[in-house]
Parts: sequence; structure tokens; C-alpha cells
Amino acid sequence: MSAYGGYSTTSYGAAGGEDGGGFFGGSQFGGSQGAKAVNEESLRPVTIKQIIDAEPAYAGEASFRIDGLDVKQVTFVGMVRSISPQTTNITYRLDDGTGIIEVKQWLDADKQEESRPAFREEEYVRVWGRLKSFSNKRHVGAHVIKPVKDFNEVNYHLLEAVYVHLFFTKGAPGGGSGGGGGNTTNGGANSVGGARDDSDSMFVDGGDDNSNARSLEAKVQGYSAKARKMFEYLNCAPNSGAEGHHINMIASGSGMSVGDVNEAADELLGHGTIYTTLDDETFAILDGY
Amino acid sequence: MESVSTARISGNMIANYVGQNVMVVGKVTQLRGETATIDANGQVHALLSRDSHLMAGNGAQIIGKVLPDLSIKVLQAMDLGNNVGMYNKGGVTASAIQLNTPLSLPE
Repeated sequence: MSAYGGYSTTSYGAAGGEDGGGFFGGSQFGGSQGAKAVNEESLRPVTIKQIIDAEPAYAGEASFRIDGLDVKQVTFVGMVRSISPQTTNITYRLDDGTGIIEVKQWLDADKQEESRPAFREEEYVRVWGRLKSFSNKRHVGAHVIKPVKDFNEVNYHLLEAVYVHLFFTKGAPGGGSGGGGGNTTNGGANSVGGARDDSDSMFVDGGDDNSNARSLEAKVQGYSAKARKMFEYLNCAPNSGAEGHHINMIASGSGMSVGDVNEAADELLGHGTIYTTLDDETFAILDGY
Repeated sequence: MESVSTARISGNMIANYVGQNVMVVGKVTQLRGETATIDANGQVHALLSRDSHLMAGNGAQIIGKVLPDLSIKVLQAMDLGNNVGMYNKGGVTASAIQLNTPLSLPE
């Protein structure tokens, strides 16, 4: 495990460094533009069909786009269709009912026992890895492959992939679902069963025009009343462009004291929901992610 | 792609997949000798192979070929035990990914 751990630490550690240790770190500098670079390194649940269909972002580079977003790290589940041990790696072919993809797990020469896979054909496994392309053939370089012990994970993963796909293509689910992702996913599944003919309404109820504002509101669920009030003001205030709003404007506009706004701002900054613009007392909503 | 994946489908989609290999996850509602009825968001009639050991009431995943009468000739069957939350979800999951075609096979 130690040699193995070294490998994944390097790759994840590097990612963490770039991000400044936090999901929103990159966005602080470039505003909404910075979000792309951050998303690239985030781990995305996908189906194998999405991997096969991912469009190469730049020629000759191992960068792919799914739903218009750069994706490098992916996680998915699949059934092992074949295992072919090679000298430097083990190549698996995984099938999840949407497609088949090759997964390569590189072997550490110092660790003999790793060359024996812990699972057999016809078993489900979960893979965490990186999308790769080698002489026009796509595969996933696995960081970790683990057998799926509980079949629920297969359904759960596929629903999560659907959820993330819809999140990026149609916006976040409507109000009342700001809680755990698991609940949201389950709710989505039920609504699929109930309204099968109406695929468009799976997660986003109501008009699509509204979905951005709704997703913003969903983000502040669980925040303090002051923070929500300030967020609401920033969200609804006219010409809330890149310059943002000064603390005095927010205080008078939302009917809070400057001290309360300061408190609210601290909380929202802590969550990465807003960021400071012209100076430390001018805020705007961070909506780039 | 090189070889074709087995499409993950629910019971109500089976008519679109005659002659193809499919994967169905659902709950075994009836078990009679070499045939089983599986509820996967729609009833599926499965002709089991000799070595498939399914249990009535348990969740199951079957892989097989859809025959012209919409039953499935099972190539491989897997008992999922009785701990799969809401068996029907398997079928619902299949519906969910199929409805979002970028995630699944074209119809």
C-alpha cells in the first residue's frame, strides 16, 4: 500500500496544490473564468458511454470534455469482462451496460502481490482514474480499483452520473433539495418512475429560465439568516456585475446594520459563495462554478 | 467500439432490443423451474440457464438475449441477495440513464 499510496498522493497532491487547497481557491483569482481549471481536476462520476463519447479538448493532449466541461479525473462502476495481465500493467475491460472501456492499472515492480487482481471476471468494480488517450485509443489509467461489495453502489453510481449530467446541462435541482446529494438522487429516481414520458422534468421542475436563480438560492440553504439576507440582496440587486456592491449599499439596501453585513459577509466568504472585488468591503456573488 | 456492450434496460424498453444482448436488474417475482419473472420497471420473462441460481423475492441481474416473443434467454444470471434497496430501482436506474441519451446507448 505504501508504494501504491505514493502514486496517488503525487497525483492528488499536485491537484490540491493547484487548487490552493480548496474547491473555490482557483476562482478567487480569475472570477468565473477560473472555474474551468478547478473543475478539470475534480472527480466526476460518469457512465462508460460518456467516456467513449467525451470529445478531446485539444489535439494531441490528454484532455477531454463531457457536457462541455473539461474532465480528467473520473469514477465509474462496471462489470469486469476480461482481465489481461501484462508485464507493466493489468488491462481490464469494463462494461456498465452503457459501453465498454479499457482500464489499465500500472504495476509497481517492487510490490509483487499487486500483480494479482483482487477480483474476477463477471464481478462489479469501482474505478477511480484519469482519462487517457494513447494512439487514438481511449482508456482510463486507474488510481484505484475496488470490488463493489454492495450492489446498491451500482444503481447509486449510475443515478449519480445522471444527476451530475443533468446538473451541468440543465442546472441544479429546484428549491428544497439543497440537502444531501443522496436524497436528491433518490428523489430524482422516484420522479423518473412516476413521470416516465416527461424526461425533461426529471430534476428541474419549473421553467429553465429560472434554474440559475434557483440554484443560487439552493446554495445558501443552511446558512444563517443574516447571510441569506445579504445573499438575497446581492442576488436581486440591479446591475450586480463584476464590480459587486459596497458594504454600505448592502446595509442600507437590505436594512441590516453594517456590523451584521460584515458578519454575513464573513460567513459567505467562508463558504466561497461570494468574493471581494474592488476592495475588502465590496462583494459580488461567485457564480462561476 | 470493438465489441458491443450489453445495454442496461428496464422491462418497459424490452421491445426495442429484440435480438440484442441486454442487462436487466430487478426483483424476482416468480420462479418456476427454468423460467423466472422479473419486475424491473415492467415485467420481464426470463428463460434461465441451468447454472443460474436465482431466489424468488431477491434482487437479480440477468444478462441475455431478447427473443422475438420479448422473453430473455439468459446467458448469465446473478443473485443480488435481499439487501438491494427497492429492487425496482434497477429498472428505474436503467430508465434514468436511457432517458438521458448522452449517458447511454442510442435507442
